[in-house]
Amino acid sequence: MAILPDDIKAAMQGVIPSHVVTCSHDGTPNASAISQVYYVDADHVALSHQFFNKTKRNLEENPRAMAWVISPETFEAWDLELEFVRSETSGPIFDIMEMQIEAIASMVGMKGIFKLRAADVFRVTAVSKAVGERIPLAEIPRAR
Amino acid sequence: MSADPSDTSGLREQIAENQQAIDRLNRDLARKSNEVRIIQQISSEITSTLDLDEVLGIILRAMDHVLAFAHSMILLKDVADNVLRVAATRGYAEQGAGAQVRLGEGVIGVVGERRRMMRIGNIGASMRYLKTVRARMESSGEVGPAEAPAVLPGLTDVQSQLALPLTVKDRLVGVLAVESRTPNAFDELDEVLLRIVGNQAATAIDNARTYQIVEQLGRLKRFFSPQLADLIIRGGADDPLKTHRREVTVVFLDLRGFTAFAETSEPEEVMGVLHEYHGEMGRLILAHEGTLERFTGDGMMIFFNDPLPMPDAAERAVRMAVAMRDRAAELAVRWHRKGYELDLGIGIAKGFATIGAIGFEGRWDYGAIGTVTNLAARLCGEAKPGQILISPRLLPEVENLLEVEEMGLLAVKGLARPVKPLNVLRLRDPA
Amino acid sequence: MIPDRVVEVLHGPTWIQIGSRDEALRPAHTVAVGAVVHDDRQTVTVFVPTARSGRVLRDLTGNGRIAVGLALASHESYQLKGTYISSRPTDDTDRARQEARRAALLESALEAGYPEAIARPLALGLAITPGVAITFRAEQVFLQTPGPGAGTLLS
Repeated sequence: MAILPDDIKAAMQGVIPSHVVTCSHDGTPNASAISQVYYVDADHVALSHQFFNKTKRNLEENPRAMAWVISPETFEAWDLELEFVRSETSGPIFDIMEMQIEAIASMVGMKGIFKLRAADVFRVTAVSKAVGERIPLAEIPRAR
Repeated sequence: MSADPSDTSGLREQIAENQQAIDRLNRDLARKSNEVRIIQQISSEITSTLDLDEVLGIILRAMDHVLAFAHSMILLKDVADNVLRVAATRGYAEQGAGAQVRLGEGVIGVVGERRRMMRIGNIGASMRYLKTVRARMESSGEVGPAEAPAVLPGLTDVQSQLALPLTVKDRLVGVLAVESRTPNAFDELDEVLLRIVGNQAATAIDNARTYQIVEQLGRLKRFFSPQLADLIIRGGADDPLKTHRREVTVVFLDLRGFTAFAETSEPEEVMGVLHEYHGEMGRLILAHEGTLERFTGDGMMIFFNDPLPMPDAAERAVRMAVAMRDRAAELAVRWHRKGYELDLGIGIAKGFATIGAIGFEGRWDYGAIGTVTNLAARLCGEAKPGQILISPRLLPEVENLLEVEEMGLLAVKGLARPVKPLNVLRLRDPA
Repeated sequence: MIPDRVVEVLHGPTWIQIGSRDEALRPAHTVAVGAVVHDDRQTVTVFVPTARSGRVLRDLTGNGRIAVGLALASHESYQLKGTYISSRPTDDTDRARQEARRAALLESALEAGYPEAIARPLALGLAITPGVAITFRAEQVFLQTPGPGAGTLLS
């Protein structure tokens, strides 16, 4: 189906944190910030999963999620409707995430301490620009 | 396919689809031409040289001029250890050559360890995030205080990095890396382009390094046995041909009666004896891994503990000397039968010498100079046929191996006090 | 009810997100700029751009369940969960408060290490007007700073 546009990739580099909202079986929403939504292909994204948390618990009860990402270049933002597909502990997307964590961990003196538990893969069921959330870049006052 | 000529909407759709296909093809073609351009530029230059520094320079220049990567570096991996060393850089204030990265450290180290390309554009944000987690883990007692972060070559405040492993037949040759202070500076197209450069770079670098090694090997083989030359290269040691000081054990041997023999015999006979003598003695030198410094006619000087360090240098020297004496005794039976009065004498000493390449362009020797060589030569000169005279300095290391007899005082030029050499009678238990 | 530190954060340079869900448990999201804690220290009002409020307000008027995520540039984070009370258009007072909040967000982003080229559009680019003020009762407060203890119920 290829629904993710190419220009969303810049928003998936983890330069600016993203948001994800999930919902438990009993109907309680959960809102959290995440450092990066990873681009897998034009129909899939992945979240890294280090600590077991409410977001993960919710996904196991109810696989639907909403993610919000923003581009550090154009500052456009997108809402992504997601459906949890599977957790991976190996494979190309897991490797990419793991390598990044290893590299950064060694750069802050945390080598071997920080472990990637899994890469959670989602299918993107809908994507839309977050219209009206921001004022046009040209109208933002410049630094003096 | 509709035959109705008024079915224009279907036709319009068809044209639009064709146009999209054409646009796609044009884009691919443009990209392909770019790729071809890059490949051509790099390959023609790279294949014109086997000089490693030139190859590295060509690669980084192409990265800058053709691909617009402002900061790039190439790290090479030694055969022996798990370290990547900066071999060339472009776009940095300091050269940074020689700086090291251990496999698994930083982007470059992880790429080298995993043999996988890596692109990251949020280094600052990621580090801030991990530091927060770290602080929480520390205050909750889960981990102790942070260890020192890896010291990595490259830009301070780097935000984006793209690094590619350079491999030849599954062997890691090194890593090619570019970086930037701008977040999200590299994209998928950059990955593709870097891969293209990387493929050529890996092979060219490997060829240049192989050539370097072969050259060095060739040079070393003129001085040392092939095994020794090989060991030196594998060990990655400093160039032994550079002048240096080392404590060595020196063995001097020559044939008593050779001068008289040479004067009174046919040249063919003399050459025949020398040939046999050198061949047999040479075999034993190789077997004990000694370094043959020179041979002049019947005289030979061998030393141990250089260029390769040997903790048992003295023992090897003595064992070799005894083996040589035994072999020479066998040869002497035949020689004496032919009327050649030839017997071997050996002197062994231990001390510091200055060692390195001696000579001139086109005629180099690997030489050792010092009091120790004088002493060994003097002891050899004093040795009666069949004697192995050793300096008392060797005794602590070899007395358990040998039965010796004391000889009288011997004055040696260059030594303040006379020496009391010992004659080696036999090995306690023959090796 | 809401711990002091969280009140401080709500009134400070915090990035705010609103989470809701519809009758089929499909989550929805919007960004908010600025928050006010009422005197009872339990009722909270957050301000959302009108253009982004449609789906969330439909959800909230439908089932009332709201989740509000707070994050400082330093990654110190909290989450409030509770029940929707009411909404109204924002007024001048609200907007003035929001403008001050945007400026504070810029400052804190720069302090945290974001480059100016990102911090400025990110903070000052948040739309304020027209806006909707959404008021809810906070029933649970969680610590959400990444690391050990994330998810702990604070009150």
